[in-house]
Amino acid sequence: MPYVSDEETVRRVRAAQRGDTLAMAELLDELAPYVGRICGPIALDQGPDAAQEALVAVFRSLRSLKDPGALRGWARAIAVREAVRLARRAARAVPADLSTLPSRGDPELAADIRDVLDRLSPEHRAVLVLRDVEGLDERAAAELLGLRVGTVKSRLHRARDTFRKAWTS
Amino acid sequence: MTGRDTTGHWPVADLDPVRRLHVLAAGIRGAHVTEGVVAAPYERVWALLGDLEGGFGRVTPDMRRLRILRRDGARVEALARSRYGMRALLRGEQRPGWCWLQSRFLLIGAAAAPDGDGTRVAFTGGVRVPGRAALVPLGVRREGEVSLRRLTGLL
Repeated sequence: MPYVSDEETVRRVRAAQRGDTLAMAELLDELAPYVGRICGPIALDQGPDAAQEALVAVFRSLRSLKDPGALRGWARAIAVREAVRLARRAARAVPADLSTLPSRGDPELAADIRDVLDRLSPEHRAVLVLRDVEGLDERAAAELLGLRVGTVKSRLHRARDTFRKAWTS
Repeated sequence: MTGRDTTGHWPVADLDPVRRLHVLAAGIRGAHVTEGVVAAPYERVWALLGDLEGGFGRVTPDMRRLRILRRDGARVEALARSRYGMRALLRGEQRPGWCWLQSRFLLIGAAAAPDGDGTRVAFTGGVRVPGRAALVPLGVRREGEVSLRRLTGLL
């Protein structure tokens, strides 16, 4: 996907809000890969459904977006919410192991990320994606997930510790 | 379509063209999506539907002829002539499995994606409401149903 300047994104949002459906299609070209990178690791097999649901919510409410510059942050919040919701619904029958969350750059994470993701709950996957894919710090991740910073920090710390022990024992 | 791409290790959720059509239609008030699975392979379906000057016009209701004026990558500009003599300058994008065209008053969207041995196809469109992301909610269902029926008949 070619680089899209912030000015161009703002122009597309404004044109889309005025009813230009080609501008909407361009915005979708811009947002779909971004939303797909968030929904994929959180919702796993439900990723395409989550990405579609998230983008439907974005485009349905596009008219109400007052600050076009906030589009990506807004879409990200919706994508995380939809991905966690759909993954939770699908995972009801599968008990999640909440105790393991690898550290950033862990070789195991790079080797078989899908296997690691499979062993985490949707909420833990969301923390991992926001940190490792989106590059957010604990404070921003906590805000987006509606958690206290301390909760996110302790979860990450405890999980890293458990993960390390599992690999060094 | 598996919907899972492990490029760079992290799985990425893929939005196929039919899903794209649903997303855009959700943002256009009054738009309706007609979706169905036709018993023909994707390559055959898109060879017909993606031929803007040929098969596409035979599937789209009320269209007599469509002539491409300009093409630049996925971007297309075309002149459509309806069965009733009206003309419309359509602008939009076309790529494999995807066609999205609008004129001042018209919107035409078509999408296709492989589905097992068959092909999932979806249509939307209608008469645009100026200045808003909206369609006049008349005939939007019928047009999609006609398109799907004609496409099935041509395969």
